[in-house]
Amino acid sequence: MSPTIQTVTALALVVGAALYFILAWLKKRKNPGCGGGCGCSASSKTKLGE
Amino acid sequence: MTRLSSLRPGESAVITSLPSDVKLASRLRELGLLIGTRIAFVRCAPMGDPLEFRLRGFELSIRREDASRVLIDETTRSLGTVETLARVAAPQPMLPSHPAPLALPEHLPGEVTAKSYAVVGNPNCGKTTLFNALTGMRQKVGNYPGVTVEKKSGQFIGQHGERVELLDLPGSYSLSAHAPDERVTRDVLLGLRQDTPRPERILCVVDASHLERNLYFVTQVLELGLPTIIALNMIDVAEAQGMPINTHKLSEELGVPVIPLQATRKESLLPLRLALSRAEISRSSWRPELPALWTRANDAVAARWGGVYPVDSRTPRDPLARMKAALLLVAPDAETSPLAEELGAGEAVILAVAQRAMLERELPEWREKLVSARYARIAELCHATQGGHYISDAFTHRLDDLLTHSVWGWVSFVGMMTLMFVSIFTIAQYPMDWINMGFDKLSGLVQAVLAPGDLRDLLTDGVIAGVGGVVVFLPQILILFFFIGLLEDTGYMARAAFLMDRVMNKVGLHGKSFIPLLSSYACAIPGIMSTRTIENPKDRLVTILVAPLMSCSARLPVYALMIAALMPSRTVWTKGALMMGLYLLGTLAALLFAWLFKKTILKGETPLFLMELPPYRLPALHQIISQMFQRAGIFLKRAGTVILAISIILWFLASFPKMTVAPGAPEPTKTEELQHSFAGRLGHVIEPAIAPLGMDWKIGIGLIAAQAAREVFVGTMSVVYNVERKEGDSPDTLGETLRHQQRPDASPVYTPLTCLSILVFFVLSMQCVSTLAVVRRETNSVRWPIFQFFYMTGTAYVAALILYQGGRVLGFH
Repeated sequence: MSPTIQTVTALALVVGAALYFILAWLKKRKNPGCGGGCGCSASSKTKLGE
Repeated sequence: MTRLSSLRPGESAVITSLPSDVKLASRLRELGLLIGTRIAFVRCAPMGDPLEFRLRGFELSIRREDASRVLIDETTRSLGTVETLARVAAPQPMLPSHPAPLALPEHLPGEVTAKSYAVVGNPNCGKTTLFNALTGMRQKVGNYPGVTVEKKSGQFIGQHGERVELLDLPGSYSLSAHAPDERVTRDVLLGLRQDTPRPERILCVVDASHLERNLYFVTQVLELGLPTIIALNMIDVAEAQGMPINTHKLSEELGVPVIPLQATRKESLLPLRLALSRAEISRSSWRPELPALWTRANDAVAARWGGVYPVDSRTPRDPLARMKAALLLVAPDAETSPLAEELGAGEAVILAVAQRAMLERELPEWREKLVSARYARIAELCHATQGGHYISDAFTHRLDDLLTHSVWGWVSFVGMMTLMFVSIFTIAQYPMDWINMGFDKLSGLVQAVLAPGDLRDLLTDGVIAGVGGVVVFLPQILILFFFIGLLEDTGYMARAAFLMDRVMNKVGLHGKSFIPLLSSYACAIPGIMSTRTIENPKDRLVTILVAPLMSCSARLPVYALMIAALMPSRTVWTKGALMMGLYLLGTLAALLFAWLFKKTILKGETPLFLMELPPYRLPALHQIISQMFQRAGIFLKRAGTVILAISIILWFLASFPKMTVAPGAPEPTKTEELQHSFAGRLGHVIEPAIAPLGMDWKIGIGLIAAQAAREVFVGTMSVVYNVERKEGDSPDTLGETLRHQQRPDASPVYTPLTCLSILVFFVLSMQCVSTLAVVRRETNSVRWPIFQFFYMTGTAYVAALILYQGGRVLGFH
C-alpha cells in the first residue's frame, strides 16, 4: 500500500472516529444519561439485596 | 417506664409506647413495631450504635437514640427468642376470622384480557431476581419523567405464545411512601402517573421467610382491587426455618393465586409462568376489620375525591379512591405537604382535615389502631397457614456475632478489603501478561504486513497501543466486580452499613448512605442512582456529591500503571497496601466533604436510620459470574467504541501536523515531532499550570483526554510514548517506558513524587463526563454537577500541589 493511500485511509478513519463522537453526543441529547457505557450495569441497585 | 434501648442481648420485652414524633412512629408501625408487639434485642454495632432487634421474623436495625424513644413493659422483660415467647402466649384473635367482603363497584370489568403486570414487593424479597429470571435479556431500562427513578420493563412469552409485559417497580414496605422510589411505586399503582398507565394486573412477590412483615404491604396492594398473583419466593428458606407455608390455605384466605417458588431456580418458575398467562385472574376480597369510625371517615373522603359527591351513602366506594383517601387521612401534614396534590385530592383535602380532627377526638390512638388491626388480621392469617416451629438461623447469628463484633467486625472488614486488593495484583497478573503478549504479536503482524506509513502507525501506535493499553486491565476490573458481587449477594453489604452507621452519623449521614458509596468502588453511576432510597433530599444530594470520590474501577488502570512505574520490584503486599491506601484516601475525602457539606451548604438534621438486616445467603455464583461476563462485554464494547475512537483521534492529534523539513536539514526527532503536533501544543499550553504538580506536557495530554473517561489516561500515555518510540526499539511495557522517561535536563520524569502526585490527583479529581451527566439528571440541575467538578478538581490540584512541593521541600524527589 503506497504511503499516500495509507495517509488517506488513516485520515478517513480519523474522520470516522470524530463522526462517532458527534453522533453519540447528538444521541445523548435525546436520551440523557450514561447509556451504560462506563463498564458498569446502570440498571442495578434500587434497594439493597433486591 | 423502660426504654427499648435498655434491653440486653438475648432479652425481649413488649412495647408499650411509640415516640411522639408522628413520622417516626408511622415508620415504626409500618415495620411492625406496635403496642403489644414483643421485640428482642440481638446486638449492637461495634461502636455502640445502631442496635439490631428481632421482631415478626426479621431483623431490624435502629439508632440507639430512636430506640430510646420506644418504651417497653419492664414486667415482660425476659430471656428467650421472640418466637418461643410468642408460642407461650398464643395470640388471641381480636377480630372475626372472615371479614364481610367489600362489594366491588359495578363499573370495573368482570373479565380482564390484558396481560401486563406490575411487579411489586418489599425490598430484599427477591423481586428483581424473579423479574430478571422471567424476562432474561428482554428488558428495557428507562426513566420516569420528572423523577430520577429507573423504569424497568421487560417481557416474556406466555403459555400461548403471547407477550406478557412486566413492569418492575421499586421495593416498598408500605403505600405510605417515604423515599422517591417508594413514591413511584405508589403513584404507578394508584394511576397517578401520566407517563405510565395504571397496571391491569399485579404480581406481588413475597419473601416466604418473612411472611408476616411482607403481608403488610401485600394486603394494602390487594385492597386496590386489581387482579393479583402472589409469588411466594424463598420457599426453601421458609422450610429450612421450620416454618412451611400451606399455600393452598393462604390462597383460599386471600382469594388470589399463591405460587410457591425459588426465584434462583428456573425450573420452579413454570407454575408462575402458567399463572401469569391465564386469561382471568381473581381479585381479592380480603380486608382487615377496621374501626367503624375510621371506615366512615375514609368513605366520606373517598366520596368527595376529585369533586364527586355521593348520591347514595350505601354505594360501595371505588377501592382506588378509598386507598387514596386513606393515605391522605393518615399523613400527618397532608394539608401543608405536596401529598394532597400528588394524590389529586382536590376539594377532598378540606374534608380530610376535618375528618382527621374528628378521629383525634373520637378515636384516641387511631393510627396505632389501624395498623394493629391490619397486623392482627395478618397474624391470624400466618397462624392459619404457617406450620412448624421457627428454627433460628444459627448460621446468620453466628456469622453476625463475628462480622459485627466490636473488634473482629472491623478486622473482618479490613481483611476482606485487603484480600480483594491483593487478589487484584496476584491472580490478575497471568491473564494480563497473556493479553499483553497478544497485543504485541498483533502489533508485530501489522508491521510485517504493512509498509511504513501513516496507516501502519495509526494501527500500531494508535489503535493497538491505545485499546490494548486499557484492555490489559480487564482481569483486574473483573476481580473487583467479582468481590463486590460476592459481598452484595451474600448479604454482607447490610452489615457494612450497620458497621459504618456510627461513622456516617458523625458526618451527618446514616449507614444507608454507605451502600451507594461502597457501590461506587465499582462505578459511581449505579452508586449515585442507588441514592434514590435515601429519603432526605439533602442527605441524598450530599451522598451524590461525594460518591465519585470513592475510587471507581476506571481509576484502577491508572493506579496500577503508576504503582508499576513507582515500585516495579516491590512485593504484591506493598503494592496492594499502596492501592488500599489510595482507596482509603478517597473514602476519607468523601467522609470529610460529607461532613463539610452537612455543616455548611446542605445543613440538616441527622436522618432516621431504620434498616432491615437480611439473612446471609450462599452467593449464586453462576449469577455473579454471569454478571462478570456481562460487565466484561460492556467493558470490551466500550474499549471497541469510545476508547478506540479516542485512540484514533489522539494518534491524529499527536502525529499531525507533520513538520516540514527543509532540504538538507537533519530529520527531526520523534520528540520534536510530538511537540510540534496539536497534542503537543495543547500539552504545552497547560504545562505551566501542572508543572508545580511535577507533571510535564505529555502528562498534560493524558489529563485532558482523561476528562472523557479516567482509564483513557493509560491509553493516551500508551499512544504518546509509542508515537515517540523509534523504529527498531523493543516494545517495553508501559510501566517500564514511563520509568525510562527523562526531562530535557536528563532528570527522570516519573519520580516517586511525580507518581504520587498523579495518583493523588486521580483519586480526588472529577474526570468522568458520564458521571457528571448522571448527576445532572439525578439532581435535576446544572449547578450541582458544575459545583462537583470544580470542588473535586480544585481539591485534587491543591492536594497534589501540597504533596509535590511539600515533598521537595522535605528533600524527597
